[in-house]
Amino acid sequence: MTNDSLHKPPLTPGRVFRLSLIMAFLLLLVGAASLLVGTAEVSLHKVMALVSGAAGPDDPARLIVLRIRLPRILLAGLAGFSLALGGVVFQALLRNPLADPFILGVSSGSAFGAVIGILLGFTFSAGIPLMSFAGALLAVFLVLALGTRKMGMESSTILLTGVILNAFFTAVIMFFISIVSDSRLHTMLFWLYGDLSQSRYASLFILSPALIAASLILFRFAKELNLITTGEEIALQLGVDVEKAKKTCLVLVSLLIGLVVSFSGLIGFVGLIVPHLARMAFGSDHRLLIPVASLGGATFLIAADTLARVLISPSELPVGVITAFLGAPFFLYLLRARGSQWNRS
Amino acid sequence: MECWSSAVLEQWSIGRKSRSALVFIAGILLLWASASPCAAFKDALGREISVPAPPKRLIALAPNLTEILYALGLGDRVVGVTDHCNYPPEASLKPKVGSYVHLNVEQIISLSPDLVIGTVDGNERYVLDLLEQAHIKVFFVNPRNVRQAIETISALGLVCGLPERARQIADALTLRVNRVVEVVRDRTRPLVFLQINIQPIMSVNRNTVHHDLIRLAGGDNMTADEPVTYPRIGLEEVIRGKPEVILVSSMEREGRFEKARQDWMQWASIPAVQKGRVHLIDSDLIDRPSPRVVDGLEIMVKLFHPEAFK
Repeated sequence: MTNDSLHKPPLTPGRVFRLSLIMAFLLLLVGAASLLVGTAEVSLHKVMALVSGAAGPDDPARLIVLRIRLPRILLAGLAGFSLALGGVVFQALLRNPLADPFILGVSSGSAFGAVIGILLGFTFSAGIPLMSFAGALLAVFLVLALGTRKMGMESSTILLTGVILNAFFTAVIMFFISIVSDSRLHTMLFWLYGDLSQSRYASLFILSPALIAASLILFRFAKELNLITTGEEIALQLGVDVEKAKKTCLVLVSLLIGLVVSFSGLIGFVGLIVPHLARMAFGSDHRLLIPVASLGGATFLIAADTLARVLISPSELPVGVITAFLGAPFFLYLLRARGSQWNRS
Repeated sequence: MECWSSAVLEQWSIGRKSRSALVFIAGILLLWASASPCAAFKDALGREISVPAPPKRLIALAPNLTEILYALGLGDRVVGVTDHCNYPPEASLKPKVGSYVHLNVEQIISLSPDLVIGTVDGNERYVLDLLEQAHIKVFFVNPRNVRQAIETISALGLVCGLPERARQIADALTLRVNRVVEVVRDRTRPLVFLQINIQPIMSVNRNTVHHDLIRLAGGDNMTADEPVTYPRIGLEEVIRGKPEVILVSSMEREGRFEKARQDWMQWASIPAVQKGRVHLIDSDLIDRPSPRVVDGLEIMVKLFHPEAFK
């Protein structure tokens, strides 16, 4: 952390709070802007009337803004928040800049569950999310059962187990995709590319408490994460229960991500690049990184989903297309200009 | 708005035998329509839908439904179509509501339709929930073969308050189908391989409208018994199957089709290749359970039984 402290002010709780507040304000701004944009013309005046309750209950604008746009924006925010949070934690825990929240096979596990749910004709209101979450649980269980050996959790063993499980589940998914060919195929493909269009308030009520609880617990591990990134041996010597921190964080993040993707589908790239962007901008102290990266992830995904909605309106792009198409060049630019900041901690 | 009629319109069961019953119901509905502002119909999901009589702002959620509405002369009442609705050409100028497998609900609501026509197989069901919350009526149909396509025309004619015109169109189409069936009766049925995708080679099994067309046009579908609806077929399998006619379904007249035909020409052991019976057919005429599916049928029968038209 010596390099950072040379040109960055020391990290105080006040600074964490101020920067988080700024990021939260940005998030609010992007969210509000997104609420105003869409295929249908809904004026700012109209939205104000809706918010203040002046518009009638049967107003079509009310349905568009409150039933279609708002739940979608909220889901994008929650998903972006969780994915970035998961990315930060996994990158630190596995000490690998390539780690993202999907790297342990949660994504393909939940995709496996979702695809089976779609095959069985389940709906998005309950059946598909349940199947998807079950698939994620299965994947996490397998990784922990197979990747943990007697002497403990080795990052490389866990990583490889995750990667191989990913390959296996992907093969099963491809098998199902090649044997269905009716409209369910489209549903599957949209799910696999991430689809926020089916957001409902009910799913938000399940997601939000889980997310709040998970992020509070993960935030309490910020100090441990700082030490683990410098090396597990050092962390051990400094009295960190590395094993316990690893297990708790891995399971917690995987459950959270499993829950999120069961409602949003697989949205790639957010969990990989947002943590790096935040690290470039704010340094790699996890006490700051966790809140700002998470808020940044929410902002980024809301912005990307808004573009996905309006770019070729009235048709829609999968949001994953936008996150990678816009995110990748921007990320490469920053990487060239500033380096990854990965080894500077 | 009070809606008190409850005519049960099971579109599955409107066979030719029950046509008179249908006309009777239509007549009653017409009387009701003049007395009340809306009428109720049962759709393909078995839901009772009350529809303003007649609906004036229609949205079709699939290309074949757009074609049916235009065939009924309802083109100016159509206020929204899907991205894939390209026939008749003027339909593609209407506002788009997304692709039929991924609809833009916001756009549908903002077009304030008084009736949306959807398909059971294509459209996502969650769209229905959202539209119902917006008090927008959705009438589902589910035509899966030629006969059901014609029945759907009758059903939509009823729902849109044009039972007489719908009956005329349906009768004319039925007549044309029957004529084809008459022509192919007692003729030897050629083994037909229908290629719906060039790379990889894909075909259709018996659960498709394509299969129904091949059957009615007096051919035998080579891949009827495949377990998958749109199976991938290996080249080897086609050579082994020895089809007597190969139909390549495509929207492009030149280019890719010519290439596909040349690919087939290498395999002289296939009877269809020996006799020069590899043909192109416009995919829009055979993919969509719409009035034009009968055009597709008439093209097919001429390709299968050219001797009957000499």
